[in-house]
Amino acid sequence: MGIFPRNKPGETTTMYTPLANHLSARLGRKVVLATARDFDSFSRAVEERRYDIVFYNQFHYIQSSKSYTVIAHNEEFGRSVVAGALFVRKDSGITEVSQLRGRTIIFGGGRDAMLAYIAPIFLLMQAGLGEKDFKSEFAVTPPNAAVALSLKLADAAGGGEILLSLPVVKKTINTDELRMLASTEPLLFLPWAVKRSMPAKLQERIRTVIVNLDSSDADQAILASARTTGIRKAQDKDYEPHRRMINAVFGKGVSPK
Amino acid sequence: MRVPEGMLRLGLGTKFILTVLTILAGTMAVNNLYSLYSSARFHEKQLVERGHALGRLISLVSPEAILGFDFLLLNEYTRQVSAQPDVVYGVILSPKGAPLSAYIDDSDPLVRARINAAGSSDVTRLLREIDAHPELIQLAFPIVHNNVELGRFVVGLSKHSLRAESRRQLALQLVALALVVLFLCAAIYLVFRANVLFPIKSLISASRHVGRGEHALVEIKSNDELGQLASAFNAMAEEVRLEQAKLHRQANFDTLTGLPNRLMAMDRINQTISRARRTSQRFALFFIDLDNFKSVNDSLGHAVGDELLVATGARVQAILRDADTVARLGGDEFLVLVPDVINELQAEEIAERLVRSISEPQLLSGRKVVARCSIGIVLFPDNGDTAAELMANADNAMYQAKAGGHGSAIFFTEDMNTRLRDRMQMEQDLNQALELGQLALHFQPIFDAVTGCHRGAEVLLRWQHPERGSVSPADFIPLAEATGQIVGIGDWVLEQACRNWSHWRQSGLVGAEFLAINISRVQFRKRFARRLSALMAQYNVPPHALELEITESVLLDDHQNVAEELNSLRAVGVTLSLDDFGTGYSSLSYLKRFRFDVLKIDRSFVSGLPDKPEDVLLVKAILAMAKGLDLRVVAEGVESHDQLLFLSGQGCDYAQGYLLAMPMSVEAYRMYLETLVAGAVRSASLRSRVTG
Repeated sequence: MGIFPRNKPGETTTMYTPLANHLSARLGRKVVLATARDFDSFSRAVEERRYDIVFYNQFHYIQSSKSYTVIAHNEEFGRSVVAGALFVRKDSGITEVSQLRGRTIIFGGGRDAMLAYIAPIFLLMQAGLGEKDFKSEFAVTPPNAAVALSLKLADAAGGGEILLSLPVVKKTINTDELRMLASTEPLLFLPWAVKRSMPAKLQERIRTVIVNLDSSDADQAILASARTTGIRKAQDKDYEPHRRMINAVFGKGVSPK
Repeated sequence: MRVPEGMLRLGLGTKFILTVLTILAGTMAVNNLYSLYSSARFHEKQLVERGHALGRLISLVSPEAILGFDFLLLNEYTRQVSAQPDVVYGVILSPKGAPLSAYIDDSDPLVRARINAAGSSDVTRLLREIDAHPELIQLAFPIVHNNVELGRFVVGLSKHSLRAESRRQLALQLVALALVVLFLCAAIYLVFRANVLFPIKSLISASRHVGRGEHALVEIKSNDELGQLASAFNAMAEEVRLEQAKLHRQANFDTLTGLPNRLMAMDRINQTISRARRTSQRFALFFIDLDNFKSVNDSLGHAVGDELLVATGARVQAILRDADTVARLGGDEFLVLVPDVINELQAEEIAERLVRSISEPQLLSGRKVVARCSIGIVLFPDNGDTAAELMANADNAMYQAKAGGHGSAIFFTEDMNTRLRDRMQMEQDLNQALELGQLALHFQPIFDAVTGCHRGAEVLLRWQHPERGSVSPADFIPLAEATGQIVGIGDWVLEQACRNWSHWRQSGLVGAEFLAINISRVQFRKRFARRLSALMAQYNVPPHALELEITESVLLDDHQNVAEELNSLRAVGVTLSLDDFGTGYSSLSYLKRFRFDVLKIDRSFVSGLPDKPEDVLLVKAILAMAKGLDLRVVAEGVESHDQLLFLSGQGCDYAQGYLLAMPMSVEAYRMYLETLVAGAVRSASLRSRVTG
């Protein structure tokens, strides 16, 4: 079971070991948790289909959907979906996305970040702004993008619509000074996928195990450890909006890098 | 010396311990303050170094986070920094000074006060406000990446805890200092008290004992300065004791005889009085005075006189018991105190023994001397209640004994006191006699024994007392001599005589060639000749007009002074007459030693003329001696023709007496002189009496 390196490897191991153990116990076979040092090595492992079960972001899934098929998605903050959005400071005078022309926009993550980059770029494109019409900056995480916006290091920030509700953001900056400028349609959260070559029966057993985790305290502990409020059933067509946006931003079959 | 009022009395111990306390506290306080100051500086330096270490670390790790816009990581850095002790804030600023990450310890008093005052947590303003605070150390570190400044890390370090720690240390050190100082002071005081105060107090106590006249020594416990002081004190106390003993002896004992002196005698009498009162017993006092002791001194010398006094004391002591007291009161006076005397008979026996013992002949400096004494006896409580009264009465009785004759002892009687009171009253009356005009001069003419011519007069003094009537010179002159009043009286007599003589001369009454004036031995002093000269000059009296009659008693005094005074008088030119010749010592050596012009034969020798062979022989001898010495002779007390004939026949120069003329007042004598001038009176009567 491979987990994308959103966190440090040690932290990832701590977070997902209970789930791996749970799967091992329920499947009756050993589930080995695999972590990656960075996104490059993780992407290579995905390309090489070294993981049977994989948890990654929406962009990664779209990229690897020929080899992997989604079986479930994460539910975060009690929500299954979240829209991508652009944020500005209230005192900036910016009320339209088109006003971001020539401005600096900071994105919380890399170019493969679905909510923090691809979705905001999609919004900009809808407003008629190409990549050369604004200056792009990249923060390590979406909360850092919000902080940078607050510190006036950028004129707008890209992130999920829940960005300003995140505790770490609320604790760090005065979110009242910011407001959401525009948002995309709702997008399903991060996907859990399995190799398409995996027997269907096993795929289903795995799906059953992980989507039924909310029935007991032990399961709640597993979910809490993985910092999610639940895992819900999902299928490939649920990620079609993501696919459309990615194709719009990068072109079909074009890698962001 | 008393301590002045208002001045605080501090003991030596208190002063010493206050000084020690001040020095110790001052020294230790300075030392502790310096230590505290050094410690504070050291800890502040450590704090700064810690701030530098933090700053360098943050400036080292921050570029990556800044470049990656990882503000949460920057926040974590600043949070971690600010979590360090004494860090008030940690702020990462952009190159333009905008805070990228800030963590401020709002629990810090500096921050809390300003957040409360400002009502907001504007980081920039907050930092600006607290940066100027003296308790804050601000350190700034540039955050550089590839030589590009990405910002700077500013850390604020509070000295509050250092100050608090310093205050706590100060409080602890003050407590410790106080305890140490108190302990040291107590220890030093105890040592000081044992080694200094106690010896000094011993010295003070001993000094007070010595001051009260008690002998006291202090124990010498050390060989230091205090030990030396104690040693010196002991030496001084010993000297004082010896000196006191010496003074006591000098004060209470007679140095010549070694007998108790008057002071000791009075003390013994008082003690005996107290004892006698308790036991209802009697005791006797014997006041002894040697007769004619002065003549022993004069004739045999003072050394023999002293020897006689010592021998007398020893003799008296020899016949008395140990319980009896013999004291020398002064001069030739002794006192014997005999306790437990039952009656007068017993006292009389003791007195007889004393007289006998003193009168026994003794050999002094190879010469046999027989001393006589007069003794006055008093008994307690019969003759007085106090020592002074007993002494006075015994003295009085002794004088009565002396007046009654040599070698006798007399018990005191109340009559003696009566006489004494009379004498004192007369003395007081005599004081006023001159002022009240009760004294008057009388003049008894003196005649040429052969021709019967009037030559002059002897000046006599009369006292007309308002109550007693005419008082005999024999009664009041000795009293005036004894009291010294004779000086004033004699001067008055001299002046009156000069004035009268001068007045007579001015009146043409030239009958009196001279006036013979009696001069007392008391009056006969050095300045007498000067006074006489002044009077003679004042009244224009020539020297030959004055004849000074001096008794032999004058010559008993200091020979040197007498000779000088007589020479002075002789230089003045007055005539010198030796009065009452033959009644006193009649020492021919006087005539040889002192030059006189006239001898006056006492009336006691004249009265037996011409029938008493011894008086005849004596007067003849005196006249023959006078002729031989070229002295004129005056016979006084001539009361019969036979006496006058005998005297003139034997070559006597002058005569005076009731036969020739009675003493007469000034007025009578003046009239007498007037008759002489008139020629009515020459010496016809005398001649007729001489011729029969």
